[in-house]
Amino acid sequence: MSDFIAQLIGLGHQYKGVPEIFKDVTFGIEKGSFHFLTGPSGSGKSSLLKMLYLGLKPTWGSLQLFGEDTLKMQSRLVPLLRQKIGVIFQEFKLLEHLKVVDNVALPLRVRGVDAKQCRKQAQELLEWVGLGESLDVYPPSLSGGQKQRVAIARAVIAQPELLLADEPTGNVDDNMAMKLLYLFEELNKRGTAVIIATHNPRLIERSAHPHLTLTEGTILQLPKCTVLS
Amino acid sequence: MSHHHDLPLNKDITARFVPKIVALMVYLGTLCFVFTLFMIHSSALWENQLTTPLSVEMPTLKTTEANSLPSRVLDLLNQTPGIQHAAVVPQKEMASLFHSLLGEDIDVDLFSLPIIIDVSLNNQEKVNFQRLEAGLKNISPHVHVTDHRGWQIQVSNLFHTSIFIAFFITILILFGALATATFATKTSLLIHGQVIEILSLVGATNSYIAKQFQVHAFKQALIASIIGSSFAFLTFFGLVILLEKAELPFVVHSSFFSQTLWVFGLAPVFMAFAMMLSVRIAVMKVLRS
Repeated sequence: MSDFIAQLIGLGHQYKGVPEIFKDVTFGIEKGSFHFLTGPSGSGKSSLLKMLYLGLKPTWGSLQLFGEDTLKMQSRLVPLLRQKIGVIFQEFKLLEHLKVVDNVALPLRVRGVDAKQCRKQAQELLEWVGLGESLDVYPPSLSGGQKQRVAIARAVIAQPELLLADEPTGNVDDNMAMKLLYLFEELNKRGTAVIIATHNPRLIERSAHPHLTLTEGTILQLPKCTVLS
Repeated sequence: MSHHHDLPLNKDITARFVPKIVALMVYLGTLCFVFTLFMIHSSALWENQLTTPLSVEMPTLKTTEANSLPSRVLDLLNQTPGIQHAAVVPQKEMASLFHSLLGEDIDVDLFSLPIIIDVSLNNQEKVNFQRLEAGLKNISPHVHVTDHRGWQIQVSNLFHTSIFIAFFITILILFGALATATFATKTSLLIHGQVIEILSLVGATNSYIAKQFQVHAFKQALIASIIGSSFAFLTFFGLVILLEKAELPFVVHSSFFSQTLWVFGLAPVFMAFAMMLSVRIAVMKVLRS
């Protein structure tokens, strides 16, 4: 039995009327692995992440997530797979009508966790990302960097098996970027596989994690651990 | 945090009209349903009181044979196959009938009241009406038999048609309210598309999202229905008092009023559950697609 939680085989995607974003992406994501996903703007990093959290259907190829063939599985299984994935969106995607603490607790709530427990865990995490004073604040009154930290806290609160982060340090200073990287690494040590799509060279330089580089619609050099047998 | 609304449904401008429409629909629907019950009750009462499909009428004659005429007619009637029972309507009852039609002040003794015989039929056997009529004419040419079954069936059909129409209108009103709620929910789904997408991305099941809509719909429908039903009760109560004051023949028994009270109590609960269910179906259908 393989240790891959995701297997992408010959994956490609093309939006209507434009050239394909990527055409033949093949690699695997091992349980508890840590990768940076890099590549020039428009290379399809965000689209690839979107496919991994089942927000976009591949035009061709196959994608297996947690042992399920995502193209053939029943739609009712989608939320169950998503519950194993934490996503940090580039545009944060916070619910503006909910307080920060409620936004962070959302993944726990949809899993049916008790309200008190939800608040306690969300509070702890928000304190860790430096937003302990902003629990009952609404997102529109936060800065870009604060919103990003809320989005990160929301993505990791349920300790997902796979964490997908799309430019998670794009709106924070270097210090906070390093702190966040440390958070991702901590989570990774607990068994969460992490994929960070980033442009931040300092972030990549300061860590020894392997890169997946999307170039000309494919990933040319695969780290050994991602090669599918 | 325990009473969460992940979707800001309370802030929906487009759905603000829904409770008002539901209240109006429940008001009309409840009254229409009570009218249906009223018609069912009245028709049952009327049909129960109908024991006389045939009646025989003979004038009070001043001849010697006049005294024996009722008994001869009764003999013939009781011997006729298909007739279960025949009895002369007592003069006291005849007088009260006249009083109810012409008023209490009328002295019925001034009239020469005819003798009426009520005839009830045996449903198992058919009466040869032409033969009976000929037999009665043979006794006296002044004896006249009337078959009431024709108009009784017509009135009964009228009752049943009215019941059907009233019930049909009740159903239409109910569907109207549910359709309004469904359309409003579909609009709401479009408005909150982004929030639903985020909920879905963090792992919310369709059922979790639908629950938010259905709980909101249930609360809204329950409050609106209680208001609608209360106004319907007041209207009904007012109508009963008005009819009693007007001394119009309120054909149902006074117990009908108390027997109908459950409708006003159950209508809001029924409506709230019906709306909750229809909203859930609408949301699940949209989310699946």
